[in-house]
Amino acid sequence: MIPERLKDRFVDIFLVSIVALLILFFYVPILTLVVFSFTSSRVLTFPIEGFSLEWYGELFRKPDFLPAVANSAIVAMISTVFATVLGSAGAVAWIRYRFRFQNIFRAVSFLPLLFPQLLLGVVMLLWFSVLGNWLGFSTGLATVIIGHIVYITPFALVIVAVQVYGFDETLEDAARDAGATGWEVFREITFPLLWPGILSAATFAFLLSWGNFYVSYSLAGTARTLPIFVYSGIAVGSSPIYPALATLNFIPALILVFLADFLRRRALKRQKLAPA
Amino acid sequence: MRTDSKRWGDPILVATVAPLAIVMLLFFIIPLVMTVILSFQTTQFYRLSWTWDLKVWTEVFSKPHYWTIMARTVAMALVCVVVCVLIAFPAAYALATRLRAYNAQIQILIIFAFLTDAVLKTFGWILVLDKSGVANWLLAHLGLGPEALNLLFTPTGTMIGMVYGLVVYPMFTIYLSLARIDRDLVLAAYDSGASRLRAFFEVTLPLARPGLYCGAVLVFVLSLGAFLEPKVLGGGTSPLASELIRQSFETRVNWPLGAALTLVLIVIGALSLALAAVVLMRGNRGRTVQ
Repeated sequence: MIPERLKDRFVDIFLVSIVALLILFFYVPILTLVVFSFTSSRVLTFPIEGFSLEWYGELFRKPDFLPAVANSAIVAMISTVFATVLGSAGAVAWIRYRFRFQNIFRAVSFLPLLFPQLLLGVVMLLWFSVLGNWLGFSTGLATVIIGHIVYITPFALVIVAVQVYGFDETLEDAARDAGATGWEVFREITFPLLWPGILSAATFAFLLSWGNFYVSYSLAGTARTLPIFVYSGIAVGSSPIYPALATLNFIPALILVFLADFLRRRALKRQKLAPA
Repeated sequence: MRTDSKRWGDPILVATVAPLAIVMLLFFIIPLVMTVILSFQTTQFYRLSWTWDLKVWTEVFSKPHYWTIMARTVAMALVCVVVCVLIAFPAAYALATRLRAYNAQIQILIIFAFLTDAVLKTFGWILVLDKSGVANWLLAHLGLGPEALNLLFTPTGTMIGMVYGLVVYPMFTIYLSLARIDRDLVLAAYDSGASRLRAFFEVTLPLARPGLYCGAVLVFVLSLGAFLEPKVLGGGTSPLASELIRQSFETRVNWPLGAALTLVLIVIGALSLALAAVVLMRGNRGRTVQ
């Protein structure tokens, strides 16, 4: 018979190692790309033969990925702004208000999250093609942006909704009792308290848009975003420039995620201190 | 939680609801309706002709080739669900019970990995799974046989990629369910003499069920549309529905067919969503007696 305490230890070790293994699993392809980006060989085999910065050099001697980066940046910035604003407003309506047709609103604003991106892209492509035939436009960056907004807004909505859910309305009442107007209450109380959630939503939105392949692929027409550029590159055969490109791509995302978390935590700390 | 009842005349309600509702109506609902309409049209000489016809649907239903691929897609999605849940549940449980102190750090690590470019990560998997890749090198050096394991361009390769991309969803939903469980309920079970195992199966697991079902359905529905993984990691050897849809658009320029196949997948997804909703509701009704 194994003693109960020992059995508990085993369960603890099992559970913790599952999480450790899972995190390792998440980073397997990412770390592999980083390692391969420093290879000196043209052939991508493991273990790598030697370290060099050759492929970073190659990347900047032939910077044909830059237009794709520019497109991705335009798309990500515009769709982040729209998705965050629409999602934040929607989140308030989701959680705080009760109104007619509320369930329809909830379903319609949440459904794209439950949609495989490929199908979302295809369905929108059909619509834009028919519409384009009538109105005389073709798919391009503008349709990609619209596609991203539809796909990303539900994510932003969920993130802000969590913040709205934990919102202490007595603070608003107190401000109103102290004579604040509706706009003042919003500016001084509601918005600052929701800000951490809105910030996380914006970060999420930006990175989801930046790395989005499916929706862009369906709606881009001849325009190219970074994931499309990489996809058409690796479809032809693995070139050693892609690990270097990937590694460079990870750095801003890393900074953004940590920055957003730092700001969110600072805001949360303030929020905790505020009522005292 | 306080909710305010609002009428449609209220400007604040209109301001918060209308923009989002209009965007979703114009670019999500109408496109869906258009897809249904298009599936009843036909093409002539690669051009759409607006004549109502059941031709495409009879083709979809009569070709066994399509059904094989649809069945394979559903089978892959089901396997993906099982694997994802088996990984996600213990991980979410560990996060909710044992690793509370490191929760924030772990979440950041996961979110970063989740949010980086999917195409790049898939490319990373090529370098791992390739015959001369990281996985084979590791296996050989761990003494698990020098025989090169051919994972790239197999359904297993596809499955690894799909699980990789989707396991975050059930982990998140299950974690949310588990984190909301009142610790006193579990302690009460211990007090009344339940063993840890029994308390887990009779208290924790039933209360985590909503998260479990939501996560499972999310994985199922989202994996129906997997395209990168079967293409890049599976090498197109056993094509899934996504490939079929892409071909009908790009190679055959047959929009009505593409629309119909897309609708088949959407209906499969919607039915599974509805099924999960029914199961969840029934579970809730059983528990209201508490």
